[in-house]
Amino acid sequence: MEIRILGPGCPRCHEVERRTINVLAELNLGADVQKISDIKKMMEYSIIGTPGLVINGKVKCSGRIPSPEEIKRWIEEEQQS
Amino acid sequence: MDIAGYLLKLLQGGLGNLAAYLAAHVLLCLVPAFFIAGAMTALIPKESVTRFLGRNAPKYVSYPAAALAGSVLSVCSCTVVPLFAGIYRKGAGLGPAITFLFFAPAANILALVYTGGVIGVDLAFARLFLSLTFGIGIGMIMALIFRRSDIAHDENTDALFAGKAGVRRAVLGFLFILIALLLSGTLKIGLLTNSYLRVTLPISGLERFQAFLFQLVPFDASKGQEGVTVQGAILIGLLFLIAFASWRGLGKIFEGFNRWTWASLGLIVLTLLVASAGMKPHAGGLDILFTGKMFGVVLSMIPLGYIGSKRLTQDEVRNFLWESWRFIKQIFPLLVVGVFFVGVMRVIIRPEWIRALAGQNTLLGNLAGVLFGVFMYFPTLVEVPIAQMFLSLGMHRGPLLAYLMADPELSLQSILMISAIIGRSKAWVYVAWVALFSTLAGLIYGALEDGASIWLMALYLLAFLSLLAAGLWWMSRRSAARPSAPPEVSTDR
Repeated sequence: MEIRILGPGCPRCHEVERRTINVLAELNLGADVQKISDIKKMMEYSIIGTPGLVINGKVKCSGRIPSPEEIKRWIEEEQQS
Repeated sequence: MDIAGYLLKLLQGGLGNLAAYLAAHVLLCLVPAFFIAGAMTALIPKESVTRFLGRNAPKYVSYPAAALAGSVLSVCSCTVVPLFAGIYRKGAGLGPAITFLFFAPAANILALVYTGGVIGVDLAFARLFLSLTFGIGIGMIMALIFRRSDIAHDENTDALFAGKAGVRRAVLGFLFILIALLLSGTLKIGLLTNSYLRVTLPISGLERFQAFLFQLVPFDASKGQEGVTVQGAILIGLLFLIAFASWRGLGKIFEGFNRWTWASLGLIVLTLLVASAGMKPHAGGLDILFTGKMFGVVLSMIPLGYIGSKRLTQDEVRNFLWESWRFIKQIFPLLVVGVFFVGVMRVIIRPEWIRALAGQNTLLGNLAGVLFGVFMYFPTLVEVPIAQMFLSLGMHRGPLLAYLMADPELSLQSILMISAIIGRSKAWVYVAWVALFSTLAGLIYGALEDGASIWLMALYLLAFLSLLAAGLWWMSRRSAARPSAPPEVSTDR
């Protein structure tokens, strides 16, 4: 699974990263997690605000901090498909 | 004077300024403002504003919406730049994106409240109103100049802006009460500043403590400096306690409410109460005056607590507290350092210099204000104490506004960042317009201060803007009439 966290390095983006990693640990899953902080690369995804969370190339949420339950649901969805 | 003595004087100037700031200005306006900013970030879904910024939104909707987005959604540059890029590339285009970029740092809730509390409500209003008009104006001009390359941005992204999220009533009520709290703390009207009850606490020795404080932080009232009062000393102590408790209580709020959370919330309420009360130390003890402000604080705390515990979900409350604390943690230390250096600079800078350069509302004076704003980079909000220093050193309010408009908009760092997104030529055109408009804003506001008629000035502004709007409308009609013209692909990415 490929997870990208978009954000220029603000505390909110770190929070998304922390939650994602916690969820992965909880599910005992391995994934390729990368943080993208180059604004031009960020714009290649369709987001209008940071932080953004992209799983397998699909933008799951942007402009807010998702709750751990949401992240868990998205990861499980992506696993099944 | 020897060097060591001079250094000591500089240090004393810095510390004195800092102490006076923490004690006098900050609390009743900044603490609620930080919480309002936190509530806006955490509780207002971005979609409620950005849905007006889609590519198909008409201009009379997208420009005001961009300005609204600027004041509601973004307080720090870390949100401004991505959102700017998003609006530009995927949404309403260059014009509204520029409006957003211009408006966000000048007129977000923190900047306005702080300007109003430290320098004066008139300047805060001038800053809001002129940034709004000029933000929309510059956005339109940029859209006009670069209308060809503007067509070539991404297609098929309307879904991004189509979200229909609204703002819940409980959230609106919450924000409304926070704003009421802010107003009751900062407005200087008789109803709020009068005291209605006096209690004398029999604590002796406070008078000597006060004299000691004035000795410790020497001040010169003629230079606009202020000393530290007993109340101020108590508040500074409380601030340290809040910082200590919040580090454990609010920073880790996502792991759940703990005892530190309640402690820090309690301390914040206590601080607001102490800051709103009047205190007079005298030989017999300490008089505590129950002012209208204090009742305002109590009256707004009750519904805040009710909505927070009953109407908002636990997740919302946690997000709200976390975001507020994040703002405080991010901005407050910079502010502390900034205020310290302002105090140091005040010792060095001679009032005569400022008065000679910008003591009058001249073109040169306004330009000097703008240039200083462009070449000096100060972190968020530090421009305000700096402006206050200039004011107390004798700067005219016109050039002061020019400086306040230019500084947060333009710094070498932000110019570089913007040019990475929209291209170098566009970025420099933007810079030129901002410099021009800031100078203009200073001149207009200075003229008003010197007694020009407000209606005449408003008329000039309105005429100028409607001319601009008409030009834009005409241009867009003309380019729509010739669809065969190939959209020019921008080459300067």
